[in-house]
Amino acid sequence: MSVANQRKLIFRLGGIGFLLDLIEVVEALDQIGETLDPARSDIGQGIVSALRFRQTWIPVVDPALKLDISSTVKLRDKTVVVLRGAEGNWALLVDQIDGLFTAENFQPCEIPFLLKVATMGFYSQIQLLHNEPMIVFEPEHYYGSVSISA
Amino acid sequence: MRRFGLFQIGGFGFALVLKRIKKILQNSKTYGLPHLPGVVTAVLVDDGELVPLLDLSPVIGSGSRLNDDVPGYQVLVESQYGSIALAVDLAGKIVSEQKGELSVTVEQTMDYGVAGKFIYQDKEYKLLDVDFLAIEMTQGFLAKPA
Repeated sequence: MSVANQRKLIFRLGGIGFLLDLIEVVEALDQIGETLDPARSDIGQGIVSALRFRQTWIPVVDPALKLDISSTVKLRDKTVVVLRGAEGNWALLVDQIDGLFTAENFQPCEIPFLLKVATMGFYSQIQLLHNEPMIVFEPEHYYGSVSISA
Repeated sequence: MRRFGLFQIGGFGFALVLKRIKKILQNSKTYGLPHLPGVVTAVLVDDGELVPLLDLSPVIGSGSRLNDDVPGYQVLVESQYGSIALAVDLAGKIVSEQKGELSVTVEQTMDYGVAGKFIYQDKEYKLLDVDFLAIEMTQGFLAKPA
């Protein structure tokens, strides 16, 4: 197993922690204000802007819209995490990145029966990092053919 | 001999059957999660498990106090659907049934989630139906308080 596969990137939206397998990540960028074009949006698909990345434009998806999370961080102060997808690179808009952690820092944690119905379709796994719940981010729910048909 | 845990939130006194109480935590850290159901305002982590924290304000009949940032306690209760946590102001006391006067409500029409009342030292404590509250308050039948 590669080192990247064993490491997780932790990011936050509205104070809530999320984890992402590093293997999915192309690059993380801050100070994105000059590289965004909000005119190229498709809110119906969660795309809030386009990002100039490596001589091309890629879609920027704000997962806070689907998750109904309110954030106080302004767009220009946000960070993007560029992910590789089946249809090419795309960018995830997040409030901040906490850092990288190895897999052994995490403890599996089942979503209780009483919460399962309401959270279904939004997230299905949680892991604990230092006893704090981290939502396992499932990129396919946010961009690509699966998210569009959902 | 049945025993009850007696608690208070605001001016509202409530009773829980003691054998349903797992533990009482003080100022336990709580975490918001997206799309929490019904009147679940947050979760807390206990022994590696997530426990939904319920806002009792629909039962109390007052506005939510869970965002008041007032130090308090959380009572972890075992329901037949899993553990839930209830926020309370004061650490409770434990009394046996004989020390007070218990009357059981047959229908739920008057007080939502209340199975009866227990009067102890002239104060009334509403006996909560933990199973009813757990399922009703988490499956979206009750709206989140504003």
